[in-house]
Amino acid sequence: MSRLPRSRDGDQPLAYGRVVRPPVYRLDARAFVCSQLLDVNRDGLDDDVTVVTDGNFVGVVAPTPEAARRATNRLRLRWSTPAGDQRGTPPAPASDRLQRGYEWPGRLGWGIEPDWVIADCNPQGAVRVDGPVADTDRLRRELACLLETDPTRIHLDGHGEARVGRQGSDDAAADAALLARAVGQPVAVRLEPEPYALDARALARARRLRVSGAADGGDFQVDDDLGYVSVPPLALWLTGRLTDGLLRDPDAAALQYTFVQESFLDEVAAALGEDPVALRLRHIKDPRGRQLLQSVASQAAWDRPAANDGRADLVRGRGVAYSHRPSESGDAGSGTRSAWIADVEVNTVTGGVRLSRLVAGQDAGADGPLGPLLDSTPLRAALEQKLLGMPDTAPPADEWGGDDDRHLPVKPAAMPPAPRRPAGPLAETGEVDLSPAVAVVANALYDATGVRFRSPPFSPARVRASLQARRDRGKRRWWWAAGLALTGLLATLWPWRASLAPISRPAANLYSAETIERGRLVAEAGDCAVCHTAEEGLTNVGGRPFETPFGTLYSTNLTPDPDTGIGNWSYAAFERAMREGISRDGRHLYPAFPYTDFAKLSDADMQALYAYLMAQPAVAAPAPDNDLRFPFNVRSMMAGWNTLFHRDRTFQPDPTRSPQWNRGAYLFEGAGHCGACHTPRNLFGAEKTGEARLAGTLVDGWEAPALTANSRAPVAWTEESLFQYLRTGRSDFHGVAGGPMAPVVAGLAELPETDVRAIAHYVATQMDAPRSATEAQQQQARKRLAASAEPVGLEAGQRVFDGACASCHADGAASSFTGAQQSLALNTNLHSERPDNVIQSILGGVHIQGVAAAGSMPAFSHSLSNRQVSDLVHYLRARFAPGETPWKDVGRTVAEIRREHNQQP
Amino acid sequence: MPATNSDRSQDRELRLTVNGEDRCLDVAPSTPLLYVLRNDLSLNGPKFGCGLGECGACMVLVDGRAARACVLPAGAVEGHSVTTLEGLADGDRLDPVQQAFIDEQGAQCGYCLNGMIMSVRALLNENPAPSREALVRALDHNLCRCGTHQEILAAACRAAGLDQEGDA
Repeated sequence: MSRLPRSRDGDQPLAYGRVVRPPVYRLDARAFVCSQLLDVNRDGLDDDVTVVTDGNFVGVVAPTPEAARRATNRLRLRWSTPAGDQRGTPPAPASDRLQRGYEWPGRLGWGIEPDWVIADCNPQGAVRVDGPVADTDRLRRELACLLETDPTRIHLDGHGEARVGRQGSDDAAADAALLARAVGQPVAVRLEPEPYALDARALARARRLRVSGAADGGDFQVDDDLGYVSVPPLALWLTGRLTDGLLRDPDAAALQYTFVQESFLDEVAAALGEDPVALRLRHIKDPRGRQLLQSVASQAAWDRPAANDGRADLVRGRGVAYSHRPSESGDAGSGTRSAWIADVEVNTVTGGVRLSRLVAGQDAGADGPLGPLLDSTPLRAALEQKLLGMPDTAPPADEWGGDDDRHLPVKPAAMPPAPRRPAGPLAETGEVDLSPAVAVVANALYDATGVRFRSPPFSPARVRASLQARRDRGKRRWWWAAGLALTGLLATLWPWRASLAPISRPAANLYSAETIERGRLVAEAGDCAVCHTAEEGLTNVGGRPFETPFGTLYSTNLTPDPDTGIGNWSYAAFERAMREGISRDGRHLYPAFPYTDFAKLSDADMQALYAYLMAQPAVAAPAPDNDLRFPFNVRSMMAGWNTLFHRDRTFQPDPTRSPQWNRGAYLFEGAGHCGACHTPRNLFGAEKTGEARLAGTLVDGWEAPALTANSRAPVAWTEESLFQYLRTGRSDFHGVAGGPMAPVVAGLAELPETDVRAIAHYVATQMDAPRSATEAQQQQARKRLAASAEPVGLEAGQRVFDGACASCHADGAASSFTGAQQSLALNTNLHSERPDNVIQSILGGVHIQGVAAAGSMPAFSHSLSNRQVSDLVHYLRARFAPGETPWKDVGRTVAEIRREHNQQP
Repeated sequence: MPATNSDRSQDRELRLTVNGEDRCLDVAPSTPLLYVLRNDLSLNGPKFGCGLGECGACMVLVDGRAARACVLPAGAVEGHSVTTLEGLADGDRLDPVQQAFIDEQGAQCGYCLNGMIMSVRALLNENPAPSREALVRALDHNLCRCGTHQEILAAACRAAGLDQEGDA
């Protein structure tokens, strides 16, 4: 991925482009439906921003990515409501023939990961595109048409790979090229979900195909309600420069028709209960084709199904697909026949699909000999990566993220002299006809899971969702849903719950590594180990005390030890505990264990978490008995509590919000259970709602600050500083994470970067925080720094500060590696209503285990007296938060917190 | 055995660059750098004084900047270059700061000298021609209990090329 900022040669600086799409645009029923651009108002835009419009294409070009983003937000555009805004599906002809509908989306995904696409147009009309684009004739023709130049002048110098189906990188390439030509300098456009995932969705229903045939699958015909075989970049549709020739693509057509035809035949075979190979042999009239399919089937040992290796989360399946592409002469006896048999392995938890075996045979025609069976390993690897490993256009909230790279791109050095050899789709696989590729995977997926995928892609998210939908259909039928709801309520109210039968401890290899790794991420996001590990104890063995207003609780042993841990818990028992707060033996658990939040976990994450915990080493360690006052020690009264305060419901995404917001909300509200500390609780120990939600409260002697617009931070938070704080444990404008937040940061350090960004994004919306630091914020920080001054009359505190703190917390003559990186004048804790976090940090120090660069501070409980700490705290408040009223009762709070420190081992 | 909560990444080995040499150690990353230097690498130039970052006896250089090794988790200097008093001399040729302390006999018991020398070195790395005031400020949080401040300051001035009155 490109890293260095700006251009390397000085004459033509790199500019940054962003596009603005119309409010309505989609490819629908033989027409491109799109709002019309009426008026552009660029008031309030900086002078160095260029607005480019071309038909309904709108984009801005600015000197920095941030300036471009700002400009798109400020640009005022007026659009018309599109005419002909109706979705029409041709009515299916009524007949007794078997009918099935299939779809082929115009984009199979927006891309693999965020990246930059750079275009440069020289005055002589040559165009160069750099970035994750594949060098294909198709894109060359399309860009030439868009820029009204010759395809030989288009140089595609990308590092992208040709894939089955099209990606958003082609749209980004066209956007960049159009903007670069308009401003006459190289322009970088970022390939990222917004807008390219939106584009992918707008083009998602590009091709709908209806197949009908006789009940035995014979005499079938394909009705194509749209003529699009290949959907060119969106810029061509928006500018109106599209020509019909660009919509034709014989390779894509063969792939799509084979997918439809072979899926249909597979459905017929399933309906008739006939063997899919036998059914095809019945239908193929061409003797060479029959011979090829028979040969491939015997090579693949079709009649001996693949064995299952006993993993609980993997299912296997096998599929077949056959295609016959006529030669250009149209002679029926010639052309290319292909027969493929694929074995897939589907992870039912994560939705991941692996092609475990591929036997592919090809026969190139009557003149040549029968084609050899292909060595399928490179082909299998290529397909796995190009067909299965692609992200979805709309990732669900429980999709784990990846690493985001926000570095700026490098401008390409110079125009290349000549275009390279054009590459067809999947060029590196050689002269292989790929027509059966998608069909064979769809058929194998059906064999493995019983779910029929009538459109690509087969991304983990879609596979997972389809499996989930099938499970849901199995257990919830609408006509008795009402009855179920009533039973559920009665069950919640009923104070005694059934014990679930113990199982023998599952083998450590019951689940696949992929599922266990997903579970590890869930456990890190949920910080299980923070509560379930005692001070200096072994991970997840339990025994950590929790002081509550109702008495002392101890966390339990989460390791798979059968006697003292959860080793004899079935998945059903584990899920009931996580979602309903009922232990395996039927006892109610206390909501100090935040099952109220964990209930929001998706099924996939819940199963993965179980798989992870069961794969850990078992440690025998009984948890200490709880010490709760009557009546709180009567567990069955929790039934009433659950009725009042607990909703057992998985996370429901908000469709009006972005995928990033929903991802952040899912992590924050579910596994992350952030509200458990940051929301105050009512008299019954349940989290308050409404205005009090996330309003901040005191937990375990530490103040969890407000995560709302009422934050007391001296400099307002931004999404960027929230991300920095959550990712590294330190923010330039706020300070260092400490206390119970330190292990949270250590857990987040294990998560993919985009997931931490999503949490920051969600928190930022709760706080009404802007995206990144504004000038106002910088000013705020400077003002705070200037305001701190030596107070009068607090000399005792000053002496403590000079002796104990100033070596790190004051500016010296030279910079110091161990010196504090933020002034205390920006520290949120010193501006809070209560001194607890300041006192905690002085007595206990600040440490984030596992996050190396986070900074640390020693504990002073053994070297400073209560009096000295109290003098110091008054001094710090007066010097670094001069606008705030002095704290009261500092001495008493110091004594209390020290008592807690002394009690800890 | 599972890792304990106090050190989740314990099983990982620690890679340090000390006095130009790459060292690979089986030490928890949360261990103070001072303990690693003295106990595992037998580099006893840095001293244990207060253990709270107050006195400066444990001073080392990290990427040429002053660092109090007693409050610095060893894991935090991975990827950085650590120099101790032992690594200051170039073969047999002492660092000019070390030579100045010998020439001025700037020591009584000598326990604080490591920190004094490293602090002056760190200042000179950033500012090759500091004033006497800058030297005083740089040594402000290096404690000497013998009362040898005058001699130490004289040595610092000599190292910085200043005469006793602080003129260049």
